[in-house]
Amino acid sequence: MELQLTNRVRMTRLSGKTRAWFTKPANIILLVFVILLGVLTLYPLLTLLMETVIVHSGREASAVRSLGLAKGDTTWWHFQKLLFTLNDGGAGGIRLSNSWIQFYSPFLNTMAVSLASSFIAILFGGAVAFLITRTNMLFKKFVSAVFVFPYIMPSWTLALFWQTFLKNTNIGTGTSNGIFASMFGIYAPEWLVYGFFPISLVLGLHYAPFAYILIGGILRNMDANLEEAATILKTPRSRIIRKITLPIVMPAILSTFLLTFASSMSAYAVPVFLGSPVRYYMLSTKMKSLMDTYSGQAYIIAGIMIVFGVAILLLNQKLTNSRRSFVTVSGKSSQISQINLRKANKPIAIILVAILLIVAVLPLITFAMESVIIKAGDYSLKNMTMDFWIGQNLTYLDQGDSNGILLSAKIWKALGYSVLLAVVCSLIAGTSGMLVGYGIAKRRGSKLSSAVNSLSFFPYLMPSLAFGAIYLSMSSHVPWLRGFALLAIVGSVKYLPFASRSGVNAMLQLSGEIEEAAIITGVPWFKRMTRIIFPIQKATFLSGYLLPMVSCMRELSLFVLLVPTSNTILTTMLMQYSEKGWAQFGNAINLLIVTVVLLLNYTVNKLTGASIDKGVGG
Amino acid sequence: MKKFLSLIIAAVIMLAAMPALAAASDIVAASADLNHEELLEKALAENGTFIVYGNTSRITTALEDFCKLYGFTGEGNNLKDAEIYTKLENEVNGGGGADMVMIQDGAALVYAIEDGLLVNYIPAAIKDSVSQEDQNPLVQQFINKVFIYNNLGDNVPAIKNVWELTDPSFKGNIIFKNPEQEQVNMNFLIMLTSEEWSAKLTDAYKALKGEDIELGGYKNAGYKWIAEFLGNCTFGSSDTTIAEEISKETAGGKIGLFVLSKLRSSTVLTDNLTVAEYDANAESYTVEPFSGFIYPMYALVSSGASRPYTAMLFIEYLMTDAGFAPWGSSIGAYSSSSAIAPNEGDLGIDIWKASSVTEDPQFILDNYADVADFVIKYLQ
Repeated sequence: MELQLTNRVRMTRLSGKTRAWFTKPANIILLVFVILLGVLTLYPLLTLLMETVIVHSGREASAVRSLGLAKGDTTWWHFQKLLFTLNDGGAGGIRLSNSWIQFYSPFLNTMAVSLASSFIAILFGGAVAFLITRTNMLFKKFVSAVFVFPYIMPSWTLALFWQTFLKNTNIGTGTSNGIFASMFGIYAPEWLVYGFFPISLVLGLHYAPFAYILIGGILRNMDANLEEAATILKTPRSRIIRKITLPIVMPAILSTFLLTFASSMSAYAVPVFLGSPVRYYMLSTKMKSLMDTYSGQAYIIAGIMIVFGVAILLLNQKLTNSRRSFVTVSGKSSQISQINLRKANKPIAIILVAILLIVAVLPLITFAMESVIIKAGDYSLKNMTMDFWIGQNLTYLDQGDSNGILLSAKIWKALGYSVLLAVVCSLIAGTSGMLVGYGIAKRRGSKLSSAVNSLSFFPYLMPSLAFGAIYLSMSSHVPWLRGFALLAIVGSVKYLPFASRSGVNAMLQLSGEIEEAAIITGVPWFKRMTRIIFPIQKATFLSGYLLPMVSCMRELSLFVLLVPTSNTILTTMLMQYSEKGWAQFGNAINLLIVTVVLLLNYTVNKLTGASIDKGVGG
Repeated sequence: MKKFLSLIIAAVIMLAAMPALAAASDIVAASADLNHEELLEKALAENGTFIVYGNTSRITTALEDFCKLYGFTGEGNNLKDAEIYTKLENEVNGGGGADMVMIQDGAALVYAIEDGLLVNYIPAAIKDSVSQEDQNPLVQQFINKVFIYNNLGDNVPAIKNVWELTDPSFKGNIIFKNPEQEQVNMNFLIMLTSEEWSAKLTDAYKALKGEDIELGGYKNAGYKWIAEFLGNCTFGSSDTTIAEEISKETAGGKIGLFVLSKLRSSTVLTDNLTVAEYDANAESYTVEPFSGFIYPMYALVSSGASRPYTAMLFIEYLMTDAGFAPWGSSIGAYSSSSAIAPNEGDLGIDIWKASSVTEDPQFILDNYADVADFVIKYLQ
């Protein structure tokens, strides 16, 4: 009897606890997302792991036939071949062994490029963020507007620009001179045009807006009291930056590092265009060619990339989770002080504007030029035509389309599809990211919270190409997962990290006292979210919508296997044109993508006041 | 939590319930004797968009003409061969996707047919005009990649023997698409290691140098040529760009091995280019022992086809003059049908076949592992 009673008390207590647990919106959000993300990310991961031990049809099956293996069998052969074939009897020793050529050498190149590009992105993006938010530099508006251009352009188009601009008869294929050599007679050395340096630079510039957005957001929003207190205590400026500013932006720097490193690691198109001519290979290029022949080995490469991504993610979490978080938006705040650059203002501003003109504006001008000339390199008027934009019946060109891009039904259809896809992905990812951010911040320190935190970042660490390949094979088993639904889900999952990062950042900056005040007065959760939390951190949350949108608009490798047809979205169409060497249509489409993204950004900006260049800070 | 996860996964797997397998292969088998009218009638009775994948850009033009002719709604997709095979693998389970496929890389095709991704169909009307060996699987046309050089300056690389290309003076002057990025290029290299071609290369070596070839560590003359040839190559990203680049006025002394049909492009300065075999043919010599390589472009019905009759009708159409027209207007494409005349200004298919390396899919599959491992060492 007594026992029964205690049991009942225990049960009531337990169910009471459970009920209490479920009354907190943060818990429900986390629970829902842990399940959703578990299925959407762990299932692909398991599939990927399976692929590394299975014999695939085609050349792979032929190659292992002598070992008595057939299609569908399980084997360690892929690992053996890719990682442990360091002496295959050839004369070249280890450096000409299969594993060195196919894995270790491209692996080292990949690490070097990813580190260098992260460094460039953080340094350049961080410096610009600092100048814009914390100094009285001139031309701020121009700089912040133009700075994001390289991110809007599909990354390989910047690579193509670099190549067309600097190529010359001394290097690469050595067949023609680019704009720079023909105009100034200066022949750029090979290291500047092909290989490690330009690949790192192009990727670094492409991803610098990550740094700008993440670091800039924190710099702009940080509580002025911290610095003011130091100033009152007569702390020197340099010490303030070192002891206060830097530690505060550290989490953002680490986030940037993680994002840039993971992106650079799996970037495919840039190394193809800037690496192949000088035989500089990266893991992504090897993965792509292995995917067509020995796909088991390709999946191993994908797996190793994920391992590295996760390692950085864990490091990142260790460094940011150790109680070093800073509430920077409290109930009370004041304007942050701006550093007066004085005499240095003009030189700094002019140098920065010049750099941006070269890396962000010049490519666009070049694209525009190249889209109107018929035979490359000939800039005379008689070689120019608007046909690629507004021509009709261009069969004489034999370049895939018989109408200029503005009159082509194919292009408009693809544009519509791309925009719709970008908007849907941004709505799903952005909203999920905001909710995830809320849940993670509210239940910070709990197991569930850190599980969701990691899971929501995980998709970003999977190389796009492999992520796409896995979803493709998943979709063949799920009848409704086709076409638009498939692309939208993949895009949303892949870009969720952008949104969840801004969500978490926004929530962590927000002092708990603000929501608590509302809770005490009995304001329901939905109202708290829509009337208090969202409005305060509107700009940060909105950047969580904008980044996925922009990224989707210019994404290629993620979608390339999933699009129903190569004409479905603009980027796959563009890549096809770039690869075929149909430069004029390609350049015109590229300009179209940039223009549309800018228009989208402008519209969002006019409607809500947020924009990508204003970034997290608003 | 674990239980919850497994429930969800179970639900996903339930959704995976496989739809009924398309019986395209049965339909094709039963249609072997249908004539054009019967085929057309059945095709017109089919519903939905007719979807075609092809790794030739002009497939879309051919499809547009075809659809206009019969009033179909069609969608042509220009994809890379490897992308097509990947997509087919996933479509065959779930249905949907391509109805008809036009594709290169015969080695991969062996498996695609064996795995039941694609079904061969030989239109009754063309049985006599296409040679037996090109019927199974059906070759719609041949495409060739040949040595083409820039004819400007005083250092014109007018080669008459492929061993000239292995000379150190050619270092950096040969442009080729990386064989890792396009399998037909790899297939060509693999074929060179065959008994037939290594013997021919051995003879050609003697003809050029006047002495017997010394193999050193190489297994045969094919391997030696591959190693020395690739050592002199720089790699371009596409055949179109290679053609454009080599045709530039500044590209004197450069030679490439790329698709002949790229010379049709308005962005290529064709006057600056000379096709090695054209010269050879005009002056009655040959480039020893080959002037390039030639490979088939196949046309097949997809196993997942929802419009199998339209697919067959389209294949039949592609084998006619009208169907070949998009390729028939310029050099570098050769119908497998003897009823279609060679393109104006080009050499006939027989001349090209005699002077080019051809694909043997089974040999390529059997030797891929060895030769590809060898080739990548010289791509470093």
